[in-house]
Parts: sequence; C-alpha cells; structure tokens
Amino acid sequence: MTSTATAGAPHPPHYTSVPGWTREPIIQPADPVGRVHTVIEVVEEDPAATGLVVAGWVGDLDGRDVRHRACTDTAAGVAALEADLMAAKVGHRVLVAGSAAACLAVRAAGVRAGLADDEMAFGVVSVGTRTVWCVHCSVTTVAELALDDVVACSGCERSLLVYPHVSRRTGQHLGFMVDAEET
Amino acid sequence: MRRLSLVVAGIDDTVPAVRRLVLAPADGGELPSYTPGSHLVLDVPSGAGRERALANAYSLVGESLHPSTYEVAVLLRDAAEGAAGGSAWVHGLRIGDPVTTMPPRSSFAPVQPATRHLLVAAGIGITPLVSHLRFHARWGREAELLYLHREGRGALVAEVDELAPGATEHFHNRVSVLARLRDRLLEQPIGAHLYTCGPTGFMDLVVAEARAAGWPASRIHLEHFGLDDLDPGEPFDVTVGEQRFEVASGVSLLEAMEKQGYAVPNLCRQGVCGECRLDLGPTTTGVWHRDLYLTDDDKAAGGCAMACVSRALPAAGGRAHLEVLL
Amino acid sequence: MSITHPAGLSPTVSAPDLVTGFPFPFPQETYRYSTNVEPAPGAVPTPTGQWGEAVVDVDSEYVHELVERAAILGRDRSRHAWLPHMDVACWDAMLCLMRELSLTRPEAMALTVLEPGVRPRYHWRNDLLGIDHTFLLGDPSTLPDEPLAWIAAQVQEDIVLLDQRDGVLYGDAGVVTFAADWSFGFDVGMSFLEIHGPVPRLHGEGIITRAHEFLKRLQPGETYRRTNWTLTIGRRLDVSTELYPEWGPDRDAVLLLDDEAFGRDVHLRVEVQHLIRLPESGAVMFLIRTYLLPLVDLVQVEHWRVRTADVLEELPQDLADYKGVAKYRHRTAAWLRARGDAGSAVAG
Repeated sequence: MTSTATAGAPHPPHYTSVPGWTREPIIQPADPVGRVHTVIEVVEEDPAATGLVVAGWVGDLDGRDVRHRACTDTAAGVAALEADLMAAKVGHRVLVAGSAAACLAVRAAGVRAGLADDEMAFGVVSVGTRTVWCVHCSVTTVAELALDDVVACSGCERSLLVYPHVSRRTGQHLGFMVDAEET
Repeated sequence: MRRLSLVVAGIDDTVPAVRRLVLAPADGGELPSYTPGSHLVLDVPSGAGRERALANAYSLVGESLHPSTYEVAVLLRDAAEGAAGGSAWVHGLRIGDPVTTMPPRSSFAPVQPATRHLLVAAGIGITPLVSHLRFHARWGREAELLYLHREGRGALVAEVDELAPGATEHFHNRVSVLARLRDRLLEQPIGAHLYTCGPTGFMDLVVAEARAAGWPASRIHLEHFGLDDLDPGEPFDVTVGEQRFEVASGVSLLEAMEKQGYAVPNLCRQGVCGECRLDLGPTTTGVWHRDLYLTDDDKAAGGCAMACVSRALPAAGGRAHLEVLL
Repeated sequence: MSITHPAGLSPTVSAPDLVTGFPFPFPQETYRYSTNVEPAPGAVPTPTGQWGEAVVDVDSEYVHELVERAAILGRDRSRHAWLPHMDVACWDAMLCLMRELSLTRPEAMALTVLEPGVRPRYHWRNDLLGIDHTFLLGDPSTLPDEPLAWIAAQVQEDIVLLDQRDGVLYGDAGVVTFAADWSFGFDVGMSFLEIHGPVPRLHGEGIITRAHEFLKRLQPGETYRRTNWTLTIGRRLDVSTELYPEWGPDRDAVLLLDDEAFGRDVHLRVEVQHLIRLPESGAVMFLIRTYLLPLVDLVQVEHWRVRTADVLEELPQDLADYKGVAKYRHRTAAWLRARGDAGSAVAG
C-alpha cells in the first residue's frame, strides 16, 4: 500500500467523536424542511448570547411551528426536550442554544430518544466548560477545561487527562489517569 | 465471485405478467440466510435474442432465515420498451431448469432502531418490502404498508395481507395512494423510517411528499433495483490512450469498450458490484455516475467511473468526454 | 509442568498449542497501520504449526479465559452493553457463533435447527461446558441468559456488534472483557469512525475510512479478518482503560526486571479480528481474539525473534506511543537480539 504520511495533521472533524462546536462556538443553521421545531435555550452565564442565537433561528423559521423552551440549566433543558419528544412525530427538529457542555448533554438526550444527526442543530455560545467521566470510578467532573488538560477527579481524586473523545450517549469526555505509569 | 447452483422448483403464474419463481439448491444442501430486503442476481445466458449474458437482480420475497428455497417475483418486461430480455428468460424457465446466482446481496435492510416502519410500494416494487414485512412480523415491529397496484394484477397481494393484517392498504391509482401517504407521513412517531420501492418517478413523488412533511433524509430509504432500465443518455466521446470513439445513446461505456476490443472486468453490469471501475484522466468533462457502488467522496473526487452505467456529462461548451486510463 | 512438547521445541512457558497456533503478526520487516483485511477462514502455516483455520478458535485456555471473563463481568457490568435496538443483532450473533463453534469443534458442539419457520426452534450442545439446551428464536424466556451474554460465556473472543444506518456503522452492542487499552463501555454507541478518532495516522492516510467503506459493503456470508498487535506485561488479558492504574505502572517496573524475568513477563499480544455480516439483523459482528506469547517462547522461532526485533526498533515514535510500548520496546528488541547467539529451536 502506498501512503502519504501526514502524521501530526489535525483530525478532520468528521472522524472524531468531538463535535467541532465544542472546540469553538459555532451556530448551526435551522433546517427549513422541518415541520415542528423545539428550540431549547439553556440560559447560563451569557443570556444575551443565547438569546441572539434563538432570535436568529426563530427569525429564519418564521411561519413554522416553533416551540421555544427557555431553561435555566442543562437538566431543565434535557427535561424539556424529553417532554417535547414524548408525542413528537417525524418532521420534528431540535435546536439547542447554550454552552457546548449544555448542548452535548441535550444532544445525548436526543440520541437516547432516537433522534438522527440531521434532526438536531446546535448554537454554541461558549466552549470553556467540559464534563469529564472518570473511566476508573465513573464519577463525572465539571470544570473549565480544554481538551488534553488534566483535572482532579471529583470522585477518586486521580489526575485525569481530558481525552479528545466524547460519548454520544452521555455527552461526556473520557477521562483517564494521566500519571498511572509513574511508579 | 461465489455462485450458487439452483434449480427451478416451483412456478406460479397466477398474477398476469408476474412470475413467482421458487429456486432450490441443485445439490439439495442448505441455502444461506439473508438480510430482509436483499436481492438475488441471476445469471441470464446469452442467446434467444440476448446479445450477451445478463446479470439481473430480483428482490427475494420468501423466508429469509434458514430458507430451503429462494423465491423471487419477476415482472415480464417488454423488449419493445427497451428491456434486455432477462425477465423474458425467467418467464420462459421450466421446472427443473438450472439457474446460477450470486449469493443474496443486501442494500435495503430495515433500520434496526426504527420505532415504526412505513412502507410504500408501487407495482412490482412490492417485492423487497415483502421480506421486510416478514422481519417485522417475526420480531414484533410496528409496520404499515401502502401498496399501489393495478386491480387484479398486483403481485403478492395475499401474502402482504397475511403478513401485515390490518396494516396494509391497497390503492389502484397514484392520486389516492399519495393522498393517503400525505396523511400517514404526518402521523409517524419520531423514530419512524420510510421505505419506498417502485418506478423512479413514483419514488420521486414519495420522497417529495416526505420532504414536504418535514422528514429528514436519514429516515427516507429507496430501493432502485431492477425496476427501471436506465435512461439511455446522450452520446459522448471517449479516449483510451491514442484511440478515440463515440458511445451512442442507449449504449453503455462498457459495451462500447467491449466492441472496441477492450476486456473490462465486469460482473453485474448494473452499477452494483464495482468490478468495472475505471480510472479517468483530467480531460474528462464530467461524470454522470448513476452507480450504487462508489462512495459520495469517490464521486465528488471524479477520478473514476463504473463503465456499465456511468456516462460523460457535458462541459460548458457542450462537449461530453471521458478520458479512460487503463 | 507435565505437558508434552512438539519435537524440536524446548519446553515452553505456554502450553504447546499456544505456541503452535500463535498468529505471528509481522509479514514485513516494518509495521504501519493498513487496511490489512483478507478473506477468512484460511490456514496460515507458521514455523511451529498454523493458525486461522477457524473463525472462532478454541484452545487450551478455553475454560480458563471464560472463567476470567465471567469474573470481569461480575466486577464491572459495563463490559457488556447493548442499545435496545440491538436485540435482533444479539440473537443473530449468538446463532452465528454457535454455528462457528460447531465448525471448530464438531465433536463437542452442535447447533441443530429443530423446527424452521418464522420463529425457529434450535438445540444447542456444548460438551466442553456441559451445555445441552433447546431454545426458540427471539424468546428470551427460553434462554438461561441474554443471548449475547450467554454466547460470550462460550467463546474466547470479545464481541462488538455494529449497526449500519444512514451509511454509518455504530458500535451499539458487545461484550468486551479483554480490551487492549480502550474502554468499550465508554465507546458503546459511537460510530466506527468516532471510535477510532484518537488513533494517530489512521485518518491522514485514509485507512479507517477505507475500512469503514469496506465494512459497509460486507455481505452476509462473507467473513474477513485482520490482525493487530501490541506488547503486554504479564499474561494479562484485561488491559482495559478502566484498569490502567493497575497495569500502567508495569511499563516502568518492567525495566527494573532482570533479563530472565523480563523475557517471561513481556508478551507479544496479537489480536485476530474477524468481521462477519450477520444475516438477520444486517449488523457487522467484530470478533477480537487475543493471543499472548511471552518473549521466552517467541524466541523458540528464529524468524519470530529477528522479525519482532526489527519491527520494534523501526516503529515510528507516534505509533510506539499509541501502542503503549514506547518505554520498553527498545529493551524488548535488545533482549530479542541478545538471544541470537543461543540459537533457536525452529528455523524461520
């Protein structure tokens, strides 16, 4: 086999489990094909920014059936999504505005409810906070973190590497002990 | 490519122009199980008006799990309308005749996470959906079928009524089936998937209805197989090294190259198997791929084409040209 | 040990069949990732014997490894996971593995279709584990356990089931107890491409996308295989990310061992991976079988000794890092080189 060595080149975004919108704030467009749109707005630290994202979507979807759910935190966002999807029909789209961490958590709820990737869009206003799942003790740690940072696990206190690997089902980053080999 | 040696073990000509063929292993052995929605590619020998051997794909309609026979339902197509003669050969088979096939191939399987399956068939397009219904009956999946066929000429009507009792609706004109579809598309729970098989024009209408009802592309599935002959296309010219020749409308690049004396490896001649893939040079004006083999990335890159179904697309000047690299 | 050895081989640490059946993974003097798939099964002759004749291999570690799997599952249920839509694939995988087992060990195992039809009835016999059971397809009440768990307790292979939808394969079910530095419990539900996201070099060279395209086109009845490899310290099958704090320190500690202990502790770890399209569900079954051979046994074959040293010395640093062998690959290579004078029992 012939190959051109491109070791060290950044991974094209579609090969990785880390969505591009968790690396930088990206606002995806609403899908005009959708018939009903649930807009989950997770208002955390920057209400003005999320408000702008939502206003943009609502403007683009003028005349469509848009259900705006303003939520004060991620858990409320997940609950609002789950409630809206209970009786939802195909044709439904979900738009989520908020931090990358909130978007990942709500996306996970959408994936668990059977939504396809082309039924969800995200408007990310901040990417600073990440949720890290400790592969050793299963406890999650939430903190201001970049990929490849190290954080102390809030469960087992091990120093965890924030691995560039994100679960679709939970929206959490894989964290594993960074200094396990140091004896 | 592995081949199965089968014999004709049963023939049912009850439905006008549709022959149901039961094929059993020639040696009495076992047949492989297959995925619902699979098709069988039959080797059709040359002769009796067929210039060359054909490989015709027909959806399997029988039991897919530990099958003792393979069953297909084949619509007789009219040579005057451009049919190459494969269906006429099937309709001429007799009990005990040998038939060789490729093992079943899957390209239209039920989607496992679907919470409900909406099936829309037109005419002989019912065939792949029959094995879907068998799967749904076995595993208790929710399914409903809208089936458009000419009164008294519908294939497998009794079968689908039995497999999906109370969940099958029959229609005898396009307007009524599309009106019903419009309603049903609005009523599918969020996890549902849509499957359609029939003439291309019909499937286009089904897709348009689904899109109008807000369905995303990932929930819409089409089976193109064995239904329409391909568009004959416009003529285009080809260079192979120093040699230049024209491919006429209705003639494939593969046929044209064979006529010029090139031995191009090929198998299905329907854009499925990938055997006749050709590399293309930079003077190629554009490719109308039409195959089901190459990936979207391959097609976008434009460096190759399937000789059996692909044609040149014209450049701005109107000239359509393929540069074949052998 | 009261085991007998094939002629020409010195007494080995491993049971003889683990040497004669070892799938030596280096066809070339250098190693790079590639889409190295080939049709399976098919016997590959080696200087000591052969491997690859069966899709599901049963060797002298059978009962021992199954006991170990059960213990791991007992401690950590996340090693067995399935998303709800994988129910059909789990039954499908169970039937396929039973059929493969009965091909591998026809004298001890047999799957019989008692009644075909919409919901077939089967009889399964596995004399090695004393199982004699009749069940109805799709009826969980006729099985002693969930289908995937039950069959995973009867094969040495780890199992991952990939669902294909919208042109993408998703790792949506499996039983993985012998993972080599990955976490199945975390990855379940990810796409095949996402699972391989962290692996260096794979993407730039298009290897993983080609593998993905290949897998998507795999047809029922077609079976392919590939090999992968790394080094493992100790005969430790479970080197999952979950247990990294347990086995990670070995990578430093091994450097402190004397040569004799080093040769017994460091193992060439080879995965033989089989890829099978399951007929009923359309899922792709990924079987991962792990073989471990200590260096002391590896050097019984001159070709294995030299080739392994060649590969380890030349391996690019990023691959060595990813495979977790960076710290001790040069010591391993030197250890192998130093055994050259003594001569090996079997010429390569």
